[in-house]
Amino acid sequence: MKKPGSPSVLVEPSDALPLVWITVSARTGALEDPAGKEGLTRATTRLMRRTGGGLSPHDLDVRIDSLGASLTVDISQSVAAFHAAVITRSLDQLVDLLVDVLARPGFSEGELGHLKRETEGELVEMRDSDASLARRWFRRKLFEGHPYGRPISGTLATTSSFTRADIVATYEKTVAAQNLVFAFSGDIDQARGEQVAQRVVSALPAGEIRHDTVPEPEARPGRRLLIVDKPERTQTQILIGGLGSHPRDEDHVALHVANTIFGGTFTARLTQEVRAKRGWSYGAYSSLPFDRRRRAFSMWTFPKATDAAPCIRLELELLKQWHQEGVTAEELEWAKSYLVRSHAFAVDTAAKRVGMKLDADLYDLPRGYYERYEDNVRAVTLGEANAAIQRRISLDDLLVTVVGTESEIGADVQKAIDDLAHTEVVPFDSD
Amino acid sequence: MNREALLQELNAAASPDGRVAHVGSTPFGPSLRVERFELGNGLQILICEEHSAPVVAYHTWFRVGSRHEKRGKTGLAHLFEHLMFNETENLEPGAFDRKLEEVGAETNAATWLDWTHYNAAVPRDGLGLVVELEAERMRNLVLRDPQVDSEKEVVANERRYRVDDDVEGAASEVLWKLAFEKHSYGWPTIGWMEDIEGFTTEDCVSFYETFYSPNNATVVIVGDVTELEALGLTSRAYGDMKRAAIPAEDVQPEPPQTEERRVEIEQPTPTEKLLVGYPSPALGDFDHTALSLLTEVLFGGRASRVHQKLVRQLEIATEARVFVGAFRDPGLVEIFASARGDHRAEQMLDAIETEIERVRDQIVTEVELDRVRARTELGLLGSLENIDGKASTIGFYETVLGRPNSAFERLDAMRRVTPADLRRVARRYLGKHQRSIVFVRTSAESN
Repeated sequence: MKKPGSPSVLVEPSDALPLVWITVSARTGALEDPAGKEGLTRATTRLMRRTGGGLSPHDLDVRIDSLGASLTVDISQSVAAFHAAVITRSLDQLVDLLVDVLARPGFSEGELGHLKRETEGELVEMRDSDASLARRWFRRKLFEGHPYGRPISGTLATTSSFTRADIVATYEKTVAAQNLVFAFSGDIDQARGEQVAQRVVSALPAGEIRHDTVPEPEARPGRRLLIVDKPERTQTQILIGGLGSHPRDEDHVALHVANTIFGGTFTARLTQEVRAKRGWSYGAYSSLPFDRRRRAFSMWTFPKATDAAPCIRLELELLKQWHQEGVTAEELEWAKSYLVRSHAFAVDTAAKRVGMKLDADLYDLPRGYYERYEDNVRAVTLGEANAAIQRRISLDDLLVTVVGTESEIGADVQKAIDDLAHTEVVPFDSD
Repeated sequence: MNREALLQELNAAASPDGRVAHVGSTPFGPSLRVERFELGNGLQILICEEHSAPVVAYHTWFRVGSRHEKRGKTGLAHLFEHLMFNETENLEPGAFDRKLEEVGAETNAATWLDWTHYNAAVPRDGLGLVVELEAERMRNLVLRDPQVDSEKEVVANERRYRVDDDVEGAASEVLWKLAFEKHSYGWPTIGWMEDIEGFTTEDCVSFYETFYSPNNATVVIVGDVTELEALGLTSRAYGDMKRAAIPAEDVQPEPPQTEERRVEIEQPTPTEKLLVGYPSPALGDFDHTALSLLTEVLFGGRASRVHQKLVRQLEIATEARVFVGAFRDPGLVEIFASARGDHRAEQMLDAIETEIERVRDQIVTEVELDRVRARTELGLLGSLENIDGKASTIGFYETVLGRPNSAFERLDAMRRVTPADLRRVARRYLGKHQRSIVFVRTSAESN
């Protein structure tokens, strides 16, 4: 039990390697960015990483490298995390630098200018990846009007607007002792982990836990098509989906099992029909991620341009079949066996074990979600799995996002979607 | 039962092909050992007990890659990797994966220039099934037109994903073709599209019969298993297989490059890209370790010289990175840089060349050398976190160099590398006359 005023500290020791992994997570992420300042939390943490202790980015990087260590930042919509790895012999020195980064960032104007220009370059560069474009636009349009639709990395317009005052304000509300969770794994024990965490938080203001007030996202009605138009594509990137579920939903585990049957493994229905039988796409999977609220259920394929329309038609048909006819008892038993037994690989390293505990803490998972995972999967009945599909997956409210060359695929793709309510085309280099 | 007793018991009833011999033992890092066994039919079995979690990695490495292909049949090794997940005499299509998934296994495969690698990781009690299924597909794969046709389509789509619609993938393919005029490293492992489309079932059958035999393979087992259990399972599963006559390799050595080569291509990309290839030594050469450290000085992380110059000081690039080929034969040091805004690839080339001139002319400091040694050590240790990482490391070095513990040998060699070694390899491998360059321009339609 965490003592009042003391930091949350999770530790998973392992003496298998002379390495220590450290994650310091703030309970807030990009959702805290003010309107028009999307990307600010990411910029703030990157600037902390570059100016800790008033050092120059180069000096800081040389010191970290020379310890046999790494220190990176990772921003999601709900969490801002600092990940470190270090060879055990250099743990103390790395912690000194970690304290500098977290508690004594320099935030120089000059470095902010550097960071903004680099970020602008990276945002342009991102357009080279069709898969990234598909994910970015799918999320933006599926959650349009909801905070989950806002870009974590910002846009060219928002990035150019960041000021040092914006950065300092974001830092002050994000990096406070009460708002942090510490996770350690590897060559470290509980006492040492607590000592390190205490050393960090003693350099920080107490602050407060910031509670997530984001509402549950709501489905946008109808079937919508978004084409991200990019020239000279021989292939398409396709994401089709709608709202998913959250572990707090009583039928989440049942839906998770049903999704495993539909598109969760190499022998799942989607992969077999799209890849094995027709050879249309190198990959074909469905996924059901979550945050503190429900996120998307989605199918991902990448067929060649001329197969895009038939592939979408097939995916929608498979979805309908899964929704209307459900899964079979035989499929259910196979999926439960797979999920229960493969759980061994979710806990086979100390880093993964502490990662689960951290997720449970950061994403408000039901108590014992991971500890009871195997039992909960075993307990899913056929009726529960099929009811979960019916209840959580919509055939009517769907977004189809296609990255491809619109002039070549647009008309056929529109015809492949029955009851299509709305089509939108955006250039791939839109901000 | 101890090792000697088990070997006696296994060998008592075995045919000559199935007899097992313990042929060596080597440390793997500070606390683990790799035991080497060999079946009479030539199959190498490497076992590393590691009991930190109740899981086992089972990797099969075949000493065949795209280097063994012929012009007009490029991509066959990779296509074959896909086909190995299909039907066998005793397993209907899809059953291989379905059975393994049912016991919670994670499986994958990869093909590259020198090798093909199949990896499975299973909960401890699934090991017997993996051994049985891996032996089954090494012995009894069924190859028919429908599977070959469907898998060709999948591979063509993989090629579109990784190469045709990927700026860096497309440019990298051009670079290797430009740099290698004779050696088979010049064609892509995934194969040219027209070759992929042209494969027949007969091509695949011939490839299987030629290269997929026990004397061309190594099985690596790492995890929560005893040596005795692993040995019993593998010797029984593979002991009735016969050796095959592996044809002598027919690879043309690449003549030394004496003049710079340049190519321009157009891609639908918002900014120009630059790829530069210099010759790299073979993985087994001491110079490979020194050159790897030198390229870390130049390109390793944000503290590196080239990042500092291109991204920080001149602000002409968003990123610059390097890959040093780790192959049996000399490969390439492949540099990739992406321009920022309207800056040109030539500007990046000039700035990179300035930094390369510096390491050809001046000694790198011990402080910089220590920095990149520490980065490399962290990278190696991090890759050994789980059983799959350990099995991959053991299998890779065994297959390419014949020494499963070479990752740690390289770590020792790295400590012996001096600043003078770095300057020597800079002069030897990073000459302007030896480089091949691909300039990636922004195509008109994407402007």
